Amino acid sequence: MKQHQTTKPMSLITKLRTATPSWSILAIAFLALSGVLELLGDMDYLNQYYLHILIIVGMNIILVASLNLVNGYLGEFALGHAGFMAVGAYTAAVIATKIGPPGLPTLIIALIGSTLAAALIGYLVGLITFKTVGDYLAIITLGFNMIIVNAIQNIDYLGGPRGFIGIPKATNLFIVAICVVLTYTVLRNLVYSDHGRRWISIRENAIAAELMGIDINRAKNMAFTIAAAFAGLAGGLWAQYQQFITPKSFDYIKTTDLLVMLYLGGTGSLSGSILGVVFYTVLMEVLRNVLSMIDPRLAELRMLISPLILVVVMLTKQSGLMGNREWRWFSPRKEENTDESCS
Amino acid sequence: MEIIIQQLLNAAQLGAVYALIALGYTMVYGILRMINFAHGDIFMVGAFIGFLLATTVNMPLVLMMPLTMLLTAFVGIAIERVAYRKLRDANRMSLVITALGVGIFLENFVRMVVGPQTRQIPAQLPDKILTFGSGLVVTEDKLLIILISLALMTILWLFTNKTLMGTAMRAVADNADVIPLMGINLNRVIAVTFAIGSALAAAGGIFYGQAYSIDPYMGIDLGWKAFIAAVIGGIGSIEGAVLGSFMLAGVEVFTVAYLSSNLKNGIAFGLLILLLLIWPSGIMGKPMIKKV
Repeated sequence: MKQHQTTKPMSLITKLRTATPSWSILAIAFLALSGVLELLGDMDYLNQYYLHILIIVGMNIILVASLNLVNGYLGEFALGHAGFMAVGAYTAAVIATKIGPPGLPTLIIALIGSTLAAALIGYLVGLITFKTVGDYLAIITLGFNMIIVNAIQNIDYLGGPRGFIGIPKATNLFIVAICVVLTYTVLRNLVYSDHGRRWISIRENAIAAELMGIDINRAKNMAFTIAAAFAGLAGGLWAQYQQFITPKSFDYIKTTDLLVMLYLGGTGSLSGSILGVVFYTVLMEVLRNVLSMIDPRLAELRMLISPLILVVVMLTKQSGLMGNREWRWFSPRKEENTDESCS
Repeated sequence: MEIIIQQLLNAAQLGAVYALIALGYTMVYGILRMINFAHGDIFMVGAFIGFLLATTVNMPLVLMMPLTMLLTAFVGIAIERVAYRKLRDANRMSLVITALGVGIFLENFVRMVVGPQTRQIPAQLPDKILTFGSGLVVTEDKLLIILISLALMTILWLFTNKTLMGTAMRAVADNADVIPLMGINLNRVIAVTFAIGSALAAAGGIFYGQAYSIDPYMGIDLGWKAFIAAVIGGIGSIEGAVLGSFMLAGVEVFTVAYLSSNLKNGIAFGLLILLLLIWPSGIMGKPMIKKV
């Protein structure tokens, strides 16, 4: 008996849907677009306000996607992401002001420095943190967040509670876009590599994963260190964009913001992280503008509407907008053919 | 010596407030296995209800306090009914994020209603200065805050250990799946838990507003502190929450008095991490046993 697959002629729509562009083409297109937007902004064709929002979105995407690695793929509830961002921001601030003349080489050194510093602190914190699980892990990470912020407040060299002033401005939209692409390329490759499989298996059942021969502590610490490193990168970008940083801006309120965007977009989904950040940020800005257009006094209402939307999304769609799903073009090709649901 | 006793009393006052908040955290956690991140903000709402009652209608404390506790209890029940009940069987993290959302909503709501300024609940407790022995100076209100808080905690202890509803609450905490089969109304038990937790937090809010000052965002900071106290003591355990609260307050007060106020949070959290590494489930908490 002949066994062969009957090849049906594909409809045009199916053809278009399966003909997803490759990752590198998407990345280049994304970079080109942000480069053009940056140039338009520099030549005053594009309102600086929009550029500012795009830059904030980009930095938040890096933060949320890296947090997703721990909270989504590894399935632990870490609450200290802003602390690693602070480490990165202050490292970049020191490098940028004390080392070189402002320019691209200094920016690159500062960003590498902030990434490495945050990774180192993340690794050390992870060594202690992963002795616990669950709610206790959440509290310990929160505790480290507070300790990092408190330590910075007590170091006069870093400006103490008053903050660090006079960091040269080096971050622009194009730089942020490069970092976003870098982050996403690394994270996507990791998530679909055997490391990613290990993290997901730990999330689904840690004991079974251990029985399969996975070194749980090592895998967890790796995810945590990488997440911290990218938080540090975002912190480095942040410091060289804002030019002024205070320890207070990296406390649990920042972490809470990130959590809201992460869970709104859905954990365990890299495309969800983008969606969560864009949705939340754009929503806040649109609400601000629409409400103040109706009546300036109403602008405050957005502070009430945005948490309400979060609660409603959680009540109606518990896994967030994209929980454990990806956009089709986000997952590598081989998976698409074998698994329709693109898990 | 007098100074140390005075600092101990300061710590007891702060610890009493922490404990009143921490009890709500620990009770809700015991029953729903959920960190109710909105609880710190319920504490803040309680403080502002008290503030409004005291300033707008000049209600005396004897009346204002029970009424505030009652109103805040309804706030707690309403939050559970609207936001949490539907998610009870869902992923625990969506419950936590919903609680975060509710907390942000409460903060901004109060901010819109009363404004972002820092306020103080007009002092209504007697604040005569008492002198003991050779120079130990204590104000009456500080003693009253400590005593009333301890009385409330005793009532709570009696309630959970001696009444039928308290027994039901402990039973639900022990095994929430079997309890409905025993003919106990799970929804009612949970509603009562939220009501008690919120009422205690409101009492804490009033005391805090008398002793210190209140603003719409204070619930974040104090909520976290109280939660940490509950975790140190062993979350889910009522005695543990009280113990942890007084310990945390003691560490904070003595750090400020003898080291530096800038180190307060760092030392408190450092101690927390150290304690959790020694007792991974808190001092009085039951260790989690995982069956394979």
